[in-house]
Amino acid sequence: MASSQHVLLSPAELSYLHSSLSLTPPLRPDGRSPTQYRPLSAETGILPGTNGSARICFADGTEAIVGVKAEVEKTKRRWDDDTIFSENNHHQQQQQQQQQQQEGEEENEGRNNNDEEGGSSDWVELTVEIPGYRDDDSGTVFLGQMLSEALLADGGFVKRLRINRRFHWKLFLDILLISPPLSYPLPLLSLTTHLALLATRLPKLKSEGDEDPFFDDDWAAAPYLYARDPATKRVAERPPVTLLVMAVGGNIIFDPSKEELAVADVVLAVSVGDDAQGKGEDRMDVDGSNPGRNLKLLSIRTVDPPSRLTPPGVANAANSAYGHAQVVNTGANQKMPEARQTESEAVEGVWKPPRGGAKAVVMGALVQKVLVRGGVADEVLDALEGVDTS
Amino acid sequence: MPITILPPKFSHPPPPPQDISDSDSDLSSDDGGAHLDFASLGLPNRKPNPANNPLFTNLVTPGTLITPDPQWMRGHGTYIPPHTTHITSSLAGIITRTNKLISVSPLRARYTPEVGDLVVGRIVEVQAKRWRVDVGSVQLASLPLSAINLPGGILRKRTETDELQIRTFFAEGDLVVAEVQQLFQDGGAVLHTRSLKYGKLRNGLFAAVSGVGGGSGVVRSRRQVWTMEGQNGGGKMDVILGVNGYVWISKHVEQVAKELEQKHMGITNMEENVSAGVYSSQNDPIDSDTMREITRLRGVVTALVENGCRVDEDMVIRGYAEACEMAMLSETGPEDIYLGGQRGEELTRALRGN
Repeated sequence: MASSQHVLLSPAELSYLHSSLSLTPPLRPDGRSPTQYRPLSAETGILPGTNGSARICFADGTEAIVGVKAEVEKTKRRWDDDTIFSENNHHQQQQQQQQQQQEGEEENEGRNNNDEEGGSSDWVELTVEIPGYRDDDSGTVFLGQMLSEALLADGGFVKRLRINRRFHWKLFLDILLISPPLSYPLPLLSLTTHLALLATRLPKLKSEGDEDPFFDDDWAAAPYLYARDPATKRVAERPPVTLLVMAVGGNIIFDPSKEELAVADVVLAVSVGDDAQGKGEDRMDVDGSNPGRNLKLLSIRTVDPPSRLTPPGVANAANSAYGHAQVVNTGANQKMPEARQTESEAVEGVWKPPRGGAKAVVMGALVQKVLVRGGVADEVLDALEGVDTS
Repeated sequence: MPITILPPKFSHPPPPPQDISDSDSDLSSDDGGAHLDFASLGLPNRKPNPANNPLFTNLVTPGTLITPDPQWMRGHGTYIPPHTTHITSSLAGIITRTNKLISVSPLRARYTPEVGDLVVGRIVEVQAKRWRVDVGSVQLASLPLSAINLPGGILRKRTETDELQIRTFFAEGDLVVAEVQQLFQDGGAVLHTRSLKYGKLRNGLFAAVSGVGGGSGVVRSRRQVWTMEGQNGGGKMDVILGVNGYVWISKHVEQVAKELEQKHMGITNMEENVSAGVYSSQNDPIDSDTMREITRLRGVVTALVENGCRVDEDMVIRGYAEACEMAMLSETGPEDIYLGGQRGEELTRALRGN
């Protein structure tokens, strides 16, 4: 998959970082615990012209802004019937349609049901802008893909955009990184998007049924896209969030910084969302004894860690610039000035970039750690909910 | 507590206490009735208003007219357009006034090299006879092959073999500590590493704290390099504060003494000996306690910068002592090395209180 940006670190630094991150517990260069996020400051409602907006800053100065704009759009229909077509399930639906035509009249109800609920992934348009990178840069496109994939994965999000059978909201998400990308910006962008969606409100619908939509002028009456429970003021179901997780040695580290990514063995972008279905039953079962919520895995992407592109270190034994004064068997090394390029056995204190693929066990452990009840994903979602969105 | 979300705050501290109200009264009661033309610029009221952030009361952007009065002298960060007497800001920064001199101190600035500065730099490019080094300045500095200690003795002549093997000394990404030897007209710097103190860096952690204005960051001081004792079982640590705001914190290695011991060589041959290990990119074994203390020290440096304190020997040593004390009082004891966010604020508050 698309790579994160190249980092320039010396082999000695990389070796140090790798060994300090491989300790138990790992020592991160900024002193955080393995599951700790960088402290951030957040606010919503910063762009008056949008339906919802948010801004998040890290202490190091990285900053992102997300604006959500909504527009009423006519739902695309086929000339011959009311089936909604979308790019994603075009084929499926075509097949369905064929089946339905074969199977005759009785399927009509089913199709209508489908029509009631369904949405299309092109109701959401998401653009990412990273300063210093082109819009069509592979990294930027990849970021956009990951973020939109998380939103569209289970189809639950687009259902919210439906107005009636003929109209829907089209949502434009503009995700801007304000500062140069000091670290891989995925967690920041995802958190900001999440917050902006939580703060998004759409005008209140006054018309009924399939007539042309007509809205309430009063912005104060506009409901949130993610409805709040009137009693608890809590969001019933929340937008997805994408977490960046990496593994070094046996340690699993959340929200890695640039230096940490530079020595990562595996990096995963895991998108999780609320599991709406499981929740009802589960709440009754657990009866509030477990504060954690049911999390649903929406998507996983592996991110190519920059560690694989880093230059290997040279052991003192192979270093022709080392120990000249001592004149200890440097003769052989003298003849191979390109010693730096040759791959050598692992030597303590010498950086060796990770080779080969990620182990399935490690990947499994990473995902497990994200999805654990009351774990990091839960706390991140709770913390984001705590931000004032009014 | 894996995540903390705070309400937004202003990222820069208020300007140092050469007070606005003070300069105000000065200006109005001053002879000649000179006035800085804030009101006509639509800038916020000069009078200190607690509702306004004091930072913005005399903040200017490039091209802002500061005063049309010819009795003021223009200082750094300002210019006078031809055929006028208007002092105009050329930077985004805060107006400072010393008697009749008006200057603008930038909010953020890159490092301007000066001869004799100790800098930490990162090699970004290897050319035929020199390296280009990133020192956080506007331009890359250059480090000529002739300005390094070649292995095998300080007095050796540079040969073609050395040119061919240039990458074995320093390659892309390597960190070096060097001194600014010479400046070009355009502000570009030439570095040298012809001393035992200088050369490739290893066994430690890097932190870049450059580009922050407003009195924080590394300042030129008497000692930029020192060795300090680690607490909580950590060994000795070396700290290098590059004037350019690049900081290196590493385990202290008694290279000289060790090699002299091994080789039974006199002090006269020391140069030769030391140059042996200077191009190594292999880390020495470092115990986890020392690693922890190195990380803590790095946390102190970044916390100081994030909270607008200057970084020098005194502040770092006091900050480190304070951080150790804070860790002792916390639940996890010395294992607690986190100094970001609110903990960093606590730390700097304690330091300022002293």
